[in-house]
Amino acid sequence: MTFVTALALAIAVLVAGPVLAHRLRRRRAEEIVFPAARLVPAAPPLAQKRARLEDRTLLAIRVLAVCALALLGASPLVTCSRLSVERSSGASFALAIVVDDSMSMRVGERDGRSRFQSAKEGARDLLASAHEGDAVALVLAGAPARVLLAATSDLARVRTTLAELEVSDRSTDLEGALGLANSLIAQLPQIDKRIVVLSDRADGNPDAPPLAEGIVLPVWFPLASENTSETTRTSDCGIASADRVGRRVRVVTVCSPGLAALAREVVVVQNEKIVSRAKGETPGETTLDLPEGDYDRLSARLEGTDAIAADDSAPVLSEGTPGSLAIVADAAEETVATGGATVVEQALSALKLDIAAHPVPLLPDREADLRAFSGIVLEDPSGFTPEQRKSLASFLEHGGSLFLALGRKAASPPLGATFEPILRHSLTWGPSAAKGVETKSVDAVFGESLQSFENLEAKGRITFAPEDARTLTSLAQFSDGQNLIARKTVGRGVVWLAALPFSVSESDIALRPGFLSLLSAFVDEVRVRRSPMRSEVGTTWVWEKIGGLHIEGPHGVLTVTHEGDRSKASPSHLGAYQVTGEKFSETRALSLVAKELDMRPRAVAASTKTTNQGGNHSKLDISSHIALFLLGLMMVELLVRFTMRDATRSQPRQA
Amino acid sequence: MLFDWGSLAPLRLRSRLVAEGVYAGSHRSARRGAGIEFGGHRPYTPGDDLRWLDRRSLLRHDHLLVRQFETETDRALRVVVDATESMAYAGTTAHGSGTKASPSKLEFASVVAAALARIAVGSGDPVGLSFLGGSVPNVGVTGGREAFERVLGALESLTPRGDATMDPDVVERAVGGIARTARRGSVVVILSDLLDLPEGAIERMGAICSRGRVVVVVQTLHPDEVQFPFREPTRLRASEGDFVVESDEESRPRYLAELGELTRTWQDAIVKRGGRFTRAVTDQNPVETVRNILDLAR
Repeated sequence: MTFVTALALAIAVLVAGPVLAHRLRRRRAEEIVFPAARLVPAAPPLAQKRARLEDRTLLAIRVLAVCALALLGASPLVTCSRLSVERSSGASFALAIVVDDSMSMRVGERDGRSRFQSAKEGARDLLASAHEGDAVALVLAGAPARVLLAATSDLARVRTTLAELEVSDRSTDLEGALGLANSLIAQLPQIDKRIVVLSDRADGNPDAPPLAEGIVLPVWFPLASENTSETTRTSDCGIASADRVGRRVRVVTVCSPGLAALAREVVVVQNEKIVSRAKGETPGETTLDLPEGDYDRLSARLEGTDAIAADDSAPVLSEGTPGSLAIVADAAEETVATGGATVVEQALSALKLDIAAHPVPLLPDREADLRAFSGIVLEDPSGFTPEQRKSLASFLEHGGSLFLALGRKAASPPLGATFEPILRHSLTWGPSAAKGVETKSVDAVFGESLQSFENLEAKGRITFAPEDARTLTSLAQFSDGQNLIARKTVGRGVVWLAALPFSVSESDIALRPGFLSLLSAFVDEVRVRRSPMRSEVGTTWVWEKIGGLHIEGPHGVLTVTHEGDRSKASPSHLGAYQVTGEKFSETRALSLVAKELDMRPRAVAASTKTTNQGGNHSKLDISSHIALFLLGLMMVELLVRFTMRDATRSQPRQA
Repeated sequence: MLFDWGSLAPLRLRSRLVAEGVYAGSHRSARRGAGIEFGGHRPYTPGDDLRWLDRRSLLRHDHLLVRQFETETDRALRVVVDATESMAYAGTTAHGSGTKASPSKLEFASVVAAALARIAVGSGDPVGLSFLGGSVPNVGVTGGREAFERVLGALESLTPRGDATMDPDVVERAVGGIARTARRGSVVVILSDLLDLPEGAIERMGAICSRGRVVVVVQTLHPDEVQFPFREPTRLRASEGDFVVESDEESRPRYLAELGELTRTWQDAIVKRGGRFTRAVTDQNPVETVRNILDLAR
């Protein structure tokens, strides 16, 4: 406090004036003619009354007015505690405010506010200290880092945008955000450029190199707390996934690193009613059994409280029903060779993949019949009839999986039979120039087990037409570069193609150990395709050529953006999302990113700790507020005096 | 029904309204004959009331004689109106402050007096009017329509005047004549606030109550005098006499006690001597006041 401030505040001493004036006030009582005056007993002398304080309301108003005047005198010198950027040269500056909207910002602080609220308030304070001509950009640090508002001098728009900002459940991408902020303001004409990062710096990489290293522009972390015992003590557990298979729910929980395993109750809830509960260790996996009954829209909940409540609940998704796999093969031919079930059935049985295999003599030509299956293994088909093509197209469109083991018959389909919509051109059956796979090509997909496909014995192999081959993704190739195993996406479904038939009479591929890996990988894909899709929060969902897309999430309808034929949505909150398109409806879920639970702040570059960037104190001119208050006081005094005058007038007078 | 007596209608109309209001409520005569005394005979003249034919004289002497009677009962109404300064009090509405209109005590008393006069004249009884203070002389007891006109004229030209505290004979001037001339059965109505009257006023007025006269004392007060609405420190100056007193919010209960004591004193003195005592407040309907007076006078 400066001497002038003290002097200005000393005006407040003048409050003694009104008090004294009221005490010494000699208000002469009004004289009224009253016939019965002789019957009125004499009141105590006025001298005694003068010692009393009269009109306490007026006195209070006047005392307040003097105090307000004193404050008004001192206000230009009063400093208020709030965030502001140091304006070194006095000229306008370009400011990029990075607001961390990640899930760790939901953590509450000691004053009852969340970290995100503090960050938002800090951003508001910074905006309040901005002047006309300053350019401000807003960047969000929730992964992936996004530009909320490009640099603009329209401060009102920045304030509006900031006011609408909400915290998300995303992970943290501070490096990306810093990069974006840097690129947003680096080219601006302002000489003074700053990046202010309002974040808890808990990006899950506490041991990574310090933030803002290598960024030329000054970076300031005003909210950043050091790696104190308090910040490291902040911990949280959340539900990573909750899946249901039959009447069994498996809940996987994850916790902040370093947190000792803790027994917490996990419950499964339907419509706010607990249907099952079990004590489980966090972090860990808890299995709950559901009682008999029909269940829909189940959710798992972690009982008890911790730093973040948002991740203590997650939708229970039904795992891809074990469902069934249709195996379409020439049973007569196969039985002769194996002496029993087809080789695919026997392999699936050996794998114990928890999926039922149903041998089907012919590919069903009705859509309804195909819907009963999650996947189809079609052995050496001789093309598809028009009805089969239609039902198969629908099957694939709805996420079905098909494995085509192509052989001799495929190369010589009967009239009218084709492999559309999978392949548009005819296939060629002939002797193989190469004996086995090119091992380098299979490692990435199937691992070492497929190396057993070396030196395959086969009577022949299918060669795809070059036009079709270009549409395929090769998973395994013959040593001469031809596809052995290929994959193609059709609609939302997938088709695996093998250039060799599985029949042991045609090739020995089914007798190789790698065949089991191949089937296992296909069944995994079948499961994934048929189950609701779970992705980590922050993932952008993309659909192509799908109209009428509507997404209902835990926080209402999700905005879908369209870029040509491509539709995109970027959900920010954990939970289940119901996606509805023109011809489909599916449930998707967002699960938390485990590293976001690591609350340890990341170190910052030494350059960010210089003191000339800004501070938590700024001079705030509150004269206008005080002047308004003073004006209000004057109005109140007028009102009070008017009321009192009315009261006095209402007393009787002589006719 | 309340009228703004101060501005709405002349006293003639107001008194007529009040009087008609009284009749509308009660059709019984307000007055009765007090008694008769034998006054001799005279020869019968055709047309005489046969009730007064002396039957004994007819049977004994065969003369048609009519018994004559001398009436002793004085059927006159004497109204005494207090017209001193204190009766000018009209309370808050006198300056038109916007609140409900209220007549002064004198205006109220004038209306009541005029209404009583009209009723008496209507019944064929003579009327007299005298004043405590005031600006006009007393009106002697006369009967007939002219009597009402005289009473009305006096009341209309009346303005409050006089300080009863400084004029010890004011009561004597008003009621002395009544005490001397009013006979048995006469009705005396005194309309006064009973404030600031000189010493001995109670005894002087109480003295009228003798000799079979019906005396009704109407304490006429303004609502302010009944309620004492002064809360703030106020200097109160009496209407009569140089008297000023300071009051505050604590004065009210003590004032009301004093007023009650004054009223009780007057009531006791009047009732003990056979008179009637009542109170009228100027915000009341004067019809009720007149009806009350007539009831008390029976």
